[in-house]
Amino acid sequence: MRSLVRRKMAAWTLKRQGLDRFPLALARRRLYILPTRAGLGFGLLALGMLIAALNYANSVALLVTCLLGGFALVAMYRCHRNLLALELTACSTSPAFAGQRGILSLTLANRSALARYGVEVDIPETQPATTDLPPRSMRRIELEIPAPRRGLIRIDRLRVSTTHPFGLFRAWTWVHAPLALTVFPRPRGARPVPPYAGPERGHARTKGADEDEWRGLRPFDEGDSPRQIDWKAYARGAPLLVKEYTASGSQRRIFDFDALAGIDTEARLEQLARWIVDTEARGESYGLVLLGARLPAQRGPEHYRRTLTALALYGIASPRAGVTPR
Amino acid sequence: MSPSDALPVRPRDAQLRALLWCAAAFLGGVLLQVDHIPLWATMTACVCTGWSIAVCARRMRVPRRSLKGALALALAAAVAAMFHTLNGLEAGTTLLVAMGSVKLLEAYRRRDRYIVLGVALFLLIAACLSRQSLPFAPLYAAQAWLCCSAMVVAAHPESSLDSRAAAWLAGRSLLVALPLAVLAFLFFPRLSGSLWALPETGAAATGLSDTLAPGGISDLSESADPAFRSWFDGPPPPPAERYWRGPVLHYFDGYTWSRTPSEWVDPTLAASAPIRATPAGVTTAAAPAARLYRYRVTLEPSSNRWWLALDTVVSPPSGAVHMTSDRVLIGARPVTEPITYTAVSDTAGRGLDPLAARRLGRDLQLPPDRNLRSVGLGRRLRSEASSDTAFVRSVLEFFRTGGFRYTLTPPRLGTDSVDEFLFGARRGFCGHFASAFVTLMRAGGVPARVVTGYLGGDWNPIGRYLLIRQSDAHAWAEVWLQGEGWTRVDPTAVVAPERLTRGIQEFLPGAASAPERLLLQMRWITSMRQAWDAANAWWTNEVIGFDTRTQLGLLRRLGITAPSSDQLGWALALCLIGWLAVAGSQLGRLPRPPRPDRLARAYQRLCRKLARVGAPRALDEGPLAYADSIARRRPDLAPTARVLLASYAQLRFGPQSGGATASRLADFERAVARWRVSPRTRSARGSRGTRSAASARG
Repeated sequence: MRSLVRRKMAAWTLKRQGLDRFPLALARRRLYILPTRAGLGFGLLALGMLIAALNYANSVALLVTCLLGGFALVAMYRCHRNLLALELTACSTSPAFAGQRGILSLTLANRSALARYGVEVDIPETQPATTDLPPRSMRRIELEIPAPRRGLIRIDRLRVSTTHPFGLFRAWTWVHAPLALTVFPRPRGARPVPPYAGPERGHARTKGADEDEWRGLRPFDEGDSPRQIDWKAYARGAPLLVKEYTASGSQRRIFDFDALAGIDTEARLEQLARWIVDTEARGESYGLVLLGARLPAQRGPEHYRRTLTALALYGIASPRAGVTPR
Repeated sequence: MSPSDALPVRPRDAQLRALLWCAAAFLGGVLLQVDHIPLWATMTACVCTGWSIAVCARRMRVPRRSLKGALALALAAAVAAMFHTLNGLEAGTTLLVAMGSVKLLEAYRRRDRYIVLGVALFLLIAACLSRQSLPFAPLYAAQAWLCCSAMVVAAHPESSLDSRAAAWLAGRSLLVALPLAVLAFLFFPRLSGSLWALPETGAAATGLSDTLAPGGISDLSESADPAFRSWFDGPPPPPAERYWRGPVLHYFDGYTWSRTPSEWVDPTLAASAPIRATPAGVTTAAAPAARLYRYRVTLEPSSNRWWLALDTVVSPPSGAVHMTSDRVLIGARPVTEPITYTAVSDTAGRGLDPLAARRLGRDLQLPPDRNLRSVGLGRRLRSEASSDTAFVRSVLEFFRTGGFRYTLTPPRLGTDSVDEFLFGARRGFCGHFASAFVTLMRAGGVPARVVTGYLGGDWNPIGRYLLIRQSDAHAWAEVWLQGEGWTRVDPTAVVAPERLTRGIQEFLPGAASAPERLLLQMRWITSMRQAWDAANAWWTNEVIGFDTRTQLGLLRRLGITAPSSDQLGWALALCLIGWLAVAGSQLGRLPRPPRPDRLARAYQRLCRKLARVGAPRALDEGPLAYADSIARRRPDLAPTARVLLASYAQLRFGPQSGGATASRLADFERAVARWRVSPRTRSARGSRGTRSAASARG
């Protein structure tokens, strides 16, 4: 019953507010407020006081009761204002291995002269993360999300809320920004790492063994590391370009999904993840052949992520199709 | 400390901080009740506070559940054993303190902390129910503030908001709430009766007693507490006429005067058969003219039922009070709350009770075997006098010339108190004189009685009222003179005439010391005392005494001709809406953000111009990306736009060089201001563009 009401309410808020895009300022229209359990208790207490004061025709008690009632209303205003016009500038997720915790990070900006305290961010079934925002400041808030299984965790909505200052009311807003958290397969398996493959396309070694070869520039793609971007060119007015390097040939391995016979799909993916993690840690280059797709041998954090993401999404349709922002 | 440089609070410190605030709020509540609850309850609260702090600071182990449960049961049993009930104000308060103490031992979670704060707030209300006087009002306000501040910390112990900021926040919130509280107080409809019985107050309050034993008092420690205040329509009576009538004492056992012994139950004195003084029942005897005073009295609470009124009452107050045949006003209930009533008195009048003759016998009573010398003296003086009036005069002459002295520190007297006073000590206060005078009168066969009450009162020029203190208590005599009725005779006035005019202060033992006398004479101290008392009077009348009747009067003053209780509800709703509108516009609004700088303003202006012609900037577009998007959407605007946007980017992000930057900024502003952005879109150009060009040529 309760979950049904909750689902209906969620559908209603989504219909009412629509999908959100960052940056996003919290307007009055999308802020909701209700008393907390402590607030209801306070209300009951005030009611008891009121009855006692009226029964004993005691003016001072009535005055104190009225003061506490007015105080509760002030608390309501202050709680609402603690979120009002707060800006959510960006939201992103960082992937995790299955069994670990993924991180959802949300950047909040307080552009007003008013300090904000106790701003909580949570999604259902997680512990909220809390932060304070001094006047004219930005804070990144990181929310840990348990990631039990490989694949994608869809996050349909976030709740940004506060009970500051007195804990008598909770003001909140729903942020409908479809996000997905990639969960890599758990690195597991004891098979030996495949041997080095031959040099790719006959590139000759020209530099030292540990150094990579300059391969060229390519347009920026989502997910590329900021460190690889050619910032100098960008400052000159060129579009965002990414510098690419090729791994030196000798330490190159190719991991093939189909070559792992005899175990089921998940176990294969886990074994591949194990190899990728180990090889990356050793600083060697590796390529991945998965379902006909071929990721050429490289190394570095971007490649590492790309290969693991390919494993994570194996057999899963991309949930982002259709709701790509802009 | 500004919030930005506040150190992050470590969880344990945060716990301790929240606990300390809750404990402070709780102890504040206990302190307000400290004289109403037994000492062991206060001790329990203190011990439990120390214990919980020690636990939180890791100095002691967390008490087990079973221990806390046993403690709670033991404390509840102790309360039940002490009060024989868990109901009632005092037992309930004690129980609340005990349970709050136990709860404090586990106040490490938010919920438990809130419960402790709830107990603290309830203790505050219990304190309001038992004491309403003005000096306590600031304490109550401080306690409310403390509880609300503790609420901030209890809700968010790990917040970077420090304790001082929390207290400041709570204080401001309460101040904003205060106007609403006052309006709600003025218009909240009151109950006409009470839902359950009023609490019994066992407190022994000061006030007039219904007995008088002058011999038993050796040191009359007078309290300066106010007994009542009186507002007059017109000028107050002169000091010598300010006799405020209290209980009349008829029966004397030689040592103690009392109202009536149990075997003398007079039907007219019983509450069941009140006699109303009708104008016909009162004659204003031979006096030249009636001196009528109409006045309002606000009685301070006492444990008694006497309603004080100026002698002689012509028109008694209405309400739950009746007047007995000896003209004592007796309320239906003890005065536990301040009450206000209006009466009319004639200071020149005398009560001529038409039924008095039947009852005169009891006012001739004397104990047969006591004070024999005095009885002899009375008989002798009567036989020497020609009439009752002459007899009165000769007894007063005896007092004047007999070497009597007025003092507030008389010696103790034995069972034949009048004999010892008249022929031995010769020192005493009003009670001694009245007692001796009435004894002599009765010995001479003249009906007489002792009247107790108050004499005098300080005129408060600020509040324009008379303040009568407990120390103004007085006793005098009344004698029955044929044809004139009951006549007041004050033997004290003969011995110490200044007692009438200068008040009791002159005779107070403490006043003998020079510094204190000096203090009393300093004018500014006097006026400060008067201002304080006027504030107390205002509080008693306008706040404590505010009830349905006053509410309706307020509505009438607001222009409603026939006010009713329904309109109170409407007024309350209006006040609430008005407050919500004002407070909402202040509290619901954010402080205005700082004005953007010149460059930003010029840039915003440029963006507005472009947006007006259908090329708005997307929120995540920087100036150069914006130039690209304009080039796609409106190629005709692109050249100018690119130059302007690039120069903005240069000014904003490029190297800064003082004067040159300033002149370039001015150029940029001018260029933005001058640029007239053509509103036509590329598609519109084909159809309408030529036509407008043609008309321009024509």
